[in-house]
Amino acid sequence: MTSDAAVPIPDPGRYKLCLFVTGSTPRSARAIENMQKICDENLHGRYDLEIIDVYENPEATRDLQIIATPTLVKILPEPLRRIIGDLSDKERVLAGLNLAPVGAAHNRSK
Amino acid sequence: MSGTESNAELVAALLRIADLEARLTEADETLEAIRTGEVDAVVIGGPEGQLIYTLENADRPYRLLIEQMQECAFTLGLDGTILYCNQRLSTLTGVRREALVGRHLQDFVATADRPVFDQLLARGSVIGRSAEFNLITTDAQGGVPVNMSVADMPIEAGMPDLLCGVITDLTRSRKRTDELAAANQQLANEIDERRRTEDKLRLALDAADMGNWDMDLLTGKTTRSARFDQIIGDIGVAQWTPQAAAQLFVDEDRRAVADAFAMAMGSGFIDLEKRIRRRNDGSLRWVQIKGLTFYDEGRPVRIAGVVSDVTDRRLIDEQLRQAQKMEAIGQLTGGVAHDFNNLLMVIAGSLDLLESRVGGDAKTIRYLSTARHGVERGAKLNQQLLAFARRQDLRTESVDIGALLSSFENLLDRAIGETIAVTIKDPPALLHARTDPHQLETAILNLAINARDAMPQGGKLTVSTSMRTIRSKTAALNNTVAGDYVVVTVADTGTGMSAEVVSKVFEPFFTTKEVGKGTGLGLSQVYGFAKQSGGFVTIESVVGEGTSVSIHLPHAEAPSVCADDRAPTREVKGHGTILVVEDDDDVREIASSMLRELGYMVFEADRGNKALTLIDSGAPIDLVFTDVIMPGEVGGIELAREIKANYKHIPVLLTSGYTAQRFQTDDMDEGLQILRKPYNRVDLSLAVKSAIGAER
Repeated sequence: MTSDAAVPIPDPGRYKLCLFVTGSTPRSARAIENMQKICDENLHGRYDLEIIDVYENPEATRDLQIIATPTLVKILPEPLRRIIGDLSDKERVLAGLNLAPVGAAHNRSK
Repeated sequence: MSGTESNAELVAALLRIADLEARLTEADETLEAIRTGEVDAVVIGGPEGQLIYTLENADRPYRLLIEQMQECAFTLGLDGTILYCNQRLSTLTGVRREALVGRHLQDFVATADRPVFDQLLARGSVIGRSAEFNLITTDAQGGVPVNMSVADMPIEAGMPDLLCGVITDLTRSRKRTDELAAANQQLANEIDERRRTEDKLRLALDAADMGNWDMDLLTGKTTRSARFDQIIGDIGVAQWTPQAAAQLFVDEDRRAVADAFAMAMGSGFIDLEKRIRRRNDGSLRWVQIKGLTFYDEGRPVRIAGVVSDVTDRRLIDEQLRQAQKMEAIGQLTGGVAHDFNNLLMVIAGSLDLLESRVGGDAKTIRYLSTARHGVERGAKLNQQLLAFARRQDLRTESVDIGALLSSFENLLDRAIGETIAVTIKDPPALLHARTDPHQLETAILNLAINARDAMPQGGKLTVSTSMRTIRSKTAALNNTVAGDYVVVTVADTGTGMSAEVVSKVFEPFFTTKEVGKGTGLGLSQVYGFAKQSGGFVTIESVVGEGTSVSIHLPHAEAPSVCADDRAPTREVKGHGTILVVEDDDDVREIASSMLRELGYMVFEADRGNKALTLIDSGAPIDLVFTDVIMPGEVGGIELAREIKANYKHIPVLLTSGYTAQRFQTDDMDEGLQILRKPYNRVDLSLAVKSAIGAER
C-alpha cells in the first residue's frame, strides 16, 4: 500500500518514446547512451524505446515536427513532449518525462 | 451561479496558460540547444522533402571509419575524376593522395578492362553496381585484381551527381581461392592415388586368388571382398567376427581358430591354415587366413587381412612329399639290394664250387639243392627290390598289350583261384606300349594277387586296357610328361582301403596281410616298374567297394620286327687268361674259382688301377672281367675305357648288381657286355665265352 503512495504517476501505463538521431554523430551517440541509462533506472520494464536515424528515414521527422537531432519525444503518456540535446541533463529529462528521480520520489513520499 | 461560471473560465484560462508555458519552454529549450550547439543536425522541411543538415563536426566519425577501413573509398565525378579518396586507395595504387585527387580513375584501369569500367560509370543502370577488373598499380606487374562497386549520389537539383565507390583488393581472397583450389586438387589427386592403390591391391589380390576382409572389433562392422565370399562359399554370413569366423571351420579346427583370433589381439597378427566346410556346396576346403591387428592406444580395434583357398596347394604338397618319400626309399632299397646281391653272389658261387667238390651222396645233394633254392628266392626278392628302386634291367620294347594280356589269361585264372571271376577285357584297339613285357606280367600278377587277397569271399577281377591322353598339369603331378598313355587297370570288388593305407601301399615292405603271407613288395614292384618305364600308377579305393589300380605306360608304335633269341642253358668250358677285377674279396675269390673250374687261367686285381698296372706289364690277357662299381679313381667303366683306348684287342666283360645304372657308354663299343649279379656258373661261362668269342 505504501508503494501506491510512492509512485508519482497515477497512470501506470507504458511509456512510448522515440529518439531521433543522425547516424553515429557524437551527440546522437551520447544521447542513445544517456537514454538507455535513464530508462533502465527509472522505467525498468515499462517502456518501448524506438531510435530513429533520420538519415535512413528523413520523412519520420515530419509528423513529430523534429527540427534538430538528437531529440527525444515522449509520445505516451500524454501530453506529447520533446526534449532536445544529448540528454546529459538528467533532471531536465526526468522533468520532461513527468518523472521524479527514484531517490527524490522516495523522499517525498515520506 | 455566475461565480461558478467565472471560476470555470478561470480554471480553463489557467490550464491554457500552463500549456502555452510548457510549449514556450520547449521552444526556448530548442532554440537554446541549437544556439549552444547541443545538436548535430537540423531538419528542414521543404516541398522536396525533409532535408538533414549536419553540423560541421558531425561527419568526423564517418571520416574516421572511411580512413580506417581496408577497402578503398572514393567519390568520383561523372567523368571519373577522383574528388575524394581514402588513404587505402593511395596505398593500393602507389600514388600519393595529393597526386591522386583530380586524376581520372580510368588511368588505373587496364585497357582490356575499360569496357567493364565504363559500364560501371554509366548512370541509369542499377543503383548499386559492381564489377571485377585489374587495377594498375606502381608495384604489381599486371595489376591487382579488385572488385569495384559504385552508387549514384544525387546532390541537389541543378548540381551534377556524384558517384560513391568502394574498391576491394581481391588479391588475398583470390589467393585464398587459389589455395583452396590447390588444396582441392591435391585432395583429388590423393583420392586418385588411393583409388589407384586400391585397384592395384585388388589386382594383386585377384592375381594371388585371395579375398580380403576387415573386422572392426568395436562396432562389429565388417568388410569382405567378393572373392572372400566365394572362398568360404558364403550365402548370408551377416557378420565376419572372430566368433562367426570360428563357426565356418570344421568341428575339430574350431577351437584352434578361436584361439588364433584371441591370440591375434595380443600378438598383432594371425596366420592359420585350417579346414572349412564350404557353405554353399559343403565341400571340405583348406583355407589360409592371414591378418594384422590394429591398435588404438594399446587396445585392439581392428583386424584385417586376406584369405585364400590352399586346398590344391596342399594336395600338390602332399603328392610332392609322397614322391620324395618314395624316392628316398628307392635310394635306400637300391643300396641294400646292391649289397645283398654281392652276398647272394658269394653264396651261389660257393655252392657251385662245393657241388663239384663234394661227393654225390643223396643228403649232400639235397642240402645243396635247398641252399641253392634259397639263393634263387633271395635273388628273386632282390629283383623286386631293384624293380621298386627302378634299378632293374628293363628290356623295353614295343609291346602289344592286348596280346600280352590274352596270353596271360590262363596263368591269371590259375593264380587267383576258383572263387573269383576273372575278366580280361579286350582293348578298344590294337594298343602298343613301350615297356618290359616280363615286368608288366609280373606287375599284373602282383596286382591280381593283391586283388585275390582283398576278396577272401570271392568277387570279380577285371583287367582292362584303354588309351588316355595326359595333360601337362596331371603329368606334372605324377612327375611325368604329357602325352598318350596306355592304361592297364586291374579292378577288384574287394574290401578296399582307407586313404591312410592308400598313401602307404607303394612303400616296400608295407603290407596289410598277415605275417608270412606277403612280402610287401608287390605294389612296390608295380610302382617302380611303371616309373622306370616312363609311366606312373594311380590307385582308387573305396572301403567296402573295391580297389582299382591303373598302370600308365607310354604309348608306342607297333614294332617293325620281332626278334627272339633264347640263350642255351648249359655251361660252356673254355681256355685262355682272364683278369678278374673286383674289390669284394669274397666275390673275387668265387668268380676266380668258377673261372678256373671252367678251364681258364686267372689273374686277380682288387682295384682298377692295379688291373691297369698288370695289363701295362705285358701279361698275356685274353679278357678283363671287372665289377662296375669299385672304390678308387678307376672304376669298371673307366677301366674299360682305358683298355679300349690302349689295348683294343683285349675284350672287357662288366658285371654289376646295379644293372640298370646309367652307364656312360655312349662312346663305347657296342660289344661291351654286362653280366648281371648274382650269376651262376652257367651264366658266367656263357658270358665269358661270348665276350672272348666276340673278339676272335
